[in-house]
Amino acid sequence: METLITIKDLNVAYQEKPALWHVNMSIPANSRTAIVGPNGAGKSTLIKSIMTLIKPISGKIDIDGKDVRHALKRIAYVPQKGEVNWDFPATVLDVVLMGRYVHKGWFKRPNRQDSEIALDALKTMKMEAFRNRQISELSGGQRQRVFLARAIAQNAEIYIMDEPLQGIDITTEKLIIDVMKALQQEGKTFVVVHHQLDTVEDYFDHAVILNKTVIAQGPVEAIWNESNIEKAYYEMSGHHD
Amino acid sequence: MIDILTSYTFMIVALGTVILAVASGIIGTVSVIKGQSLIGDAVGHATFPGIVLAFMLAGTRETLVLALGALLLGIIAFFTIQIITEHSRITLDGALALVLSSFFGLGMALMSFVQGNPDFEGTQGLSDYIFGQAAYMLRSDVYLILAASGASLLVFILFYQQLKIYIFDPVYSRSIGISNMLMNFMILGITITLIAVGLKAVGAILIVNLLIAPAVVGQLWSDRFFHVLIIAAATGGISAFAGTYISTAGNDIATGPAIILVLSAFVLVSLLSARKGLLRRSILKRKVGERS
Repeated sequence: METLITIKDLNVAYQEKPALWHVNMSIPANSRTAIVGPNGAGKSTLIKSIMTLIKPISGKIDIDGKDVRHALKRIAYVPQKGEVNWDFPATVLDVVLMGRYVHKGWFKRPNRQDSEIALDALKTMKMEAFRNRQISELSGGQRQRVFLARAIAQNAEIYIMDEPLQGIDITTEKLIIDVMKALQQEGKTFVVVHHQLDTVEDYFDHAVILNKTVIAQGPVEAIWNESNIEKAYYEMSGHHD
Repeated sequence: MIDILTSYTFMIVALGTVILAVASGIIGTVSVIKGQSLIGDAVGHATFPGIVLAFMLAGTRETLVLALGALLLGIIAFFTIQIITEHSRITLDGALALVLSSFFGLGMALMSFVQGNPDFEGTQGLSDYIFGQAAYMLRSDVYLILAASGASLLVFILFYQQLKIYIFDPVYSRSIGISNMLMNFMILGITITLIAVGLKAVGAILIVNLLIAPAVVGQLWSDRFFHVLIIAAATGGISAFAGTYISTAGNDIATGPAIILVLSAFVLVSLLSARKGLLRRSILKRKVGERS
């Protein structure tokens, strides 16, 4: 498969404590890639670096050979739920319409076509009945569906999601995976921080096992084995230099 | 009553306070939703020494000069709060209390210094900036408020969509190329500007109410951002008009406190009767309780 995202020698630290070091990886186009690793392995740091939300000490992140900063519009980011201001008075449709922002002109006002796209996205996530509901009144799973609907409305090629299956119901989990697989058929690429080890093989076709640095990466069937998992989860920071 | 409504002074003063309150209601809604109401309070108090310092340095009580002094001290106060919270163990509420009281104390000290000092003439108007005395507002004061409020509203309208995304979801807004730093400075710049030009009308102590109370009313009545903004603007505008009227009719009531009292009445009524207010909520709870 063709490489879409390339990361070269990425180093990130928080207040002089290293969070990621010597990260080299490539994520293939049109893949469903899982980022897996123990707590504190730097999974969120990695995707925040890709989104240029964190300034790394050094390293290079390219999309299709171009600096990621020029390709942000091609990426839809699905945040962790704690990152959002739940006091904000917004309906479900308001939130999904935010996904249309990147396609708008100077005033950025959404028009009827944007509303139709947003409603279609809500339909895909089986949330159209909730479109006028206050976002803070929704359950964790429903909120996650709305954020994915926003990403779909953005019509991006690359979906980057930070633990989208955390604290949600099983129906929503199944739906998210189905939608992910359907969108892959349309040529989209997924990069997902994932915390359940037992579902990696069912949900993803490519994986990066991370613990501060890359332990293993490649097609799931090639690298998803006990020895790699053990290396990431039980040999705590075996990497010194 | 008609006499007052048609009098030139009343019209000038009411125009100024209404426009100020509408703009403050809108930008204040952003601060309240972002959980930054008290920053407005600290900055409001901290602008007072700026008024006195500008008077001491320039030797004039011209509105624009004093407003610039207030603006400058407001900015200094904000960065002082930032520096304290980032580089010490003092939490935000501690830093706010420190900056609020020390800056305001400085203003009071400077004012008593110039008032007893023969080198400074025309100091009697300075204390108006503490509680506000809109009755002494001049045409030039109103023009300044109009210009500042108009510019603030224009910026707000231009960047409305960006601001909305930024307030709700700063990580997402950053990820789609919105500059969060620009958004933050814009909110802050507008807030400090409105405080600076509104001091003479409402005063340093009470101006924060103009930012917060309308937003609280708006949030109680609606859960749509746009509607909350409209309700906040209307509440601010109506209160400013009524407050100015009360203050003009009853001779010795300062305008600032009069406006704040009307606003507080709106808050009280909304708290009791609004859709998301206390009374309705407890009725709703009881109903739900009966069903289960």
